[in-house]
Amino acid sequence: MKEKLNGKDLINIGIFSAIYFVIVFITAMLGMVPILYPMLTVICPLVGGVVYMLFLTRVKKFGMIWIMSILMGILMLISGMSWYALAIGVFSGLIADLIFKSGNYGSSVKGVLSHAVFSLWIFGNYLLFYLNHESYMKTREEMVGKEYVDKLNSLLPMWSWVVLLAATLIFGLIGGMMGKSMLKKHLSKAGIA
Amino acid sequence: MAQLLSADLKSRGLVLDPRSKLALMLSIVFFSMGGVGSDIKAVVLISKLLGLIPIILLLTAKQWKKALAYGGAYAVLTLVSLELLPVMNGGIKIFLTICCVGVLRFMPGLIMGAYILSSTTVSEFIAAFHRMHIPQQITIPLSVMFRFFPTVMEEMQAINAAMKMRDIRLFGKNAGKLIEYRLIPLLVCSVNIGQELSAAALTRGLSAPKKRTNICRIGFHLQDIAAFVTALSPAAVIICNRFEVIA
Repeated sequence: MKEKLNGKDLINIGIFSAIYFVIVFITAMLGMVPILYPMLTVICPLVGGVVYMLFLTRVKKFGMIWIMSILMGILMLISGMSWYALAIGVFSGLIADLIFKSGNYGSSVKGVLSHAVFSLWIFGNYLLFYLNHESYMKTREEMVGKEYVDKLNSLLPMWSWVVLLAATLIFGLIGGMMGKSMLKKHLSKAGIA
Repeated sequence: MAQLLSADLKSRGLVLDPRSKLALMLSIVFFSMGGVGSDIKAVVLISKLLGLIPIILLLTAKQWKKALAYGGAYAVLTLVSLELLPVMNGGIKIFLTICCVGVLRFMPGLIMGAYILSSTTVSEFIAAFHRMHIPQQITIPLSVMFRFFPTVMEEMQAINAAMKMRDIRLFGKNAGKLIEYRLIPLLVCSVNIGQELSAAALTRGLSAPKKRTNICRIGFHLQDIAAFVTALSPAAVIICNRFEVIA
């Protein structure tokens, strides 16, 4: 019983990916202020939740969430953010898809859960700071001095990836729930959700 | 973002294959941003040179303004971080260093992204993805997405203008309604437009089971070989270095 994705599904993925990416990208502009940069793991899943939940009402076959996640990774690579988003997105998208599939593509609890996992591609962009950290910092130390490196380490210590990961997951859940309630409030009435 | 992946074909100068652009991009995110192999002196040097490549590419594509703006910003930040920062001290120094170094780290990738998005067309990208044997399940949504970006942006600007009139804006009286009052209308109208777009695309046979053809002529030329050599050089240096260490 393997249903293949048809043209309409693929177009739907494209449309929702575009809306999702534009909204998240505009929000992520806040991250240009360096202090706010870690906060994006909180804001982006919150904002993306509505779009994702609306997307889920169109998902009835396996693979659609997965493809959207891969697309986000490809976009991040083409626009030069990092390749980690793609590496993470391939797996987190698959898991998110499997979670939603286990609820028979209709369970809203599973939908919220799958949004939390899907949001992990946002966290993926931060891996840049944690992998190859030691050797990178050593070259920086020659260039800008130990004082700066220490300061940066105290602002973004090695263990902080746990916090960012947890923030992405938790606010992914909250964003999913918010999205669900907004769908109920506005879009189901309008006949879109 | 409105001109995303819609290059002016006539006046873009040196043409690289989309695949070599991707190879350069990968090299930049791995070595220049990611700091892979930065314990080897030669790799650090090469990765710094890699950071200059996007600016050169922008120049070859005759995008003088962009090249000047990015190159200028890059030069100023480098100068500040090399000359000004060592003589300063205190909190300002740390703040400035974080800004400078952070931006400098991301800049090569972002400039390369700007170059790729402004010098390639969607069709070329899709053609390149086909040659790399990436399945249609990825390429069709990708092309729909790039087709749809300008539409979403346009709708968004219109909605933002309308909401500004009701004082629903950042730091406005009704800032709390910001997300809801902008997102929901955007979703509703984008989805409706999307349905029309989808019907139009299906009428033109997007879901046909045949293999799709593409009129874009992409292929490797001399400049692509140069691009690949540049992109692979840091990896080659690292491999040589590791090999020597073992042997």
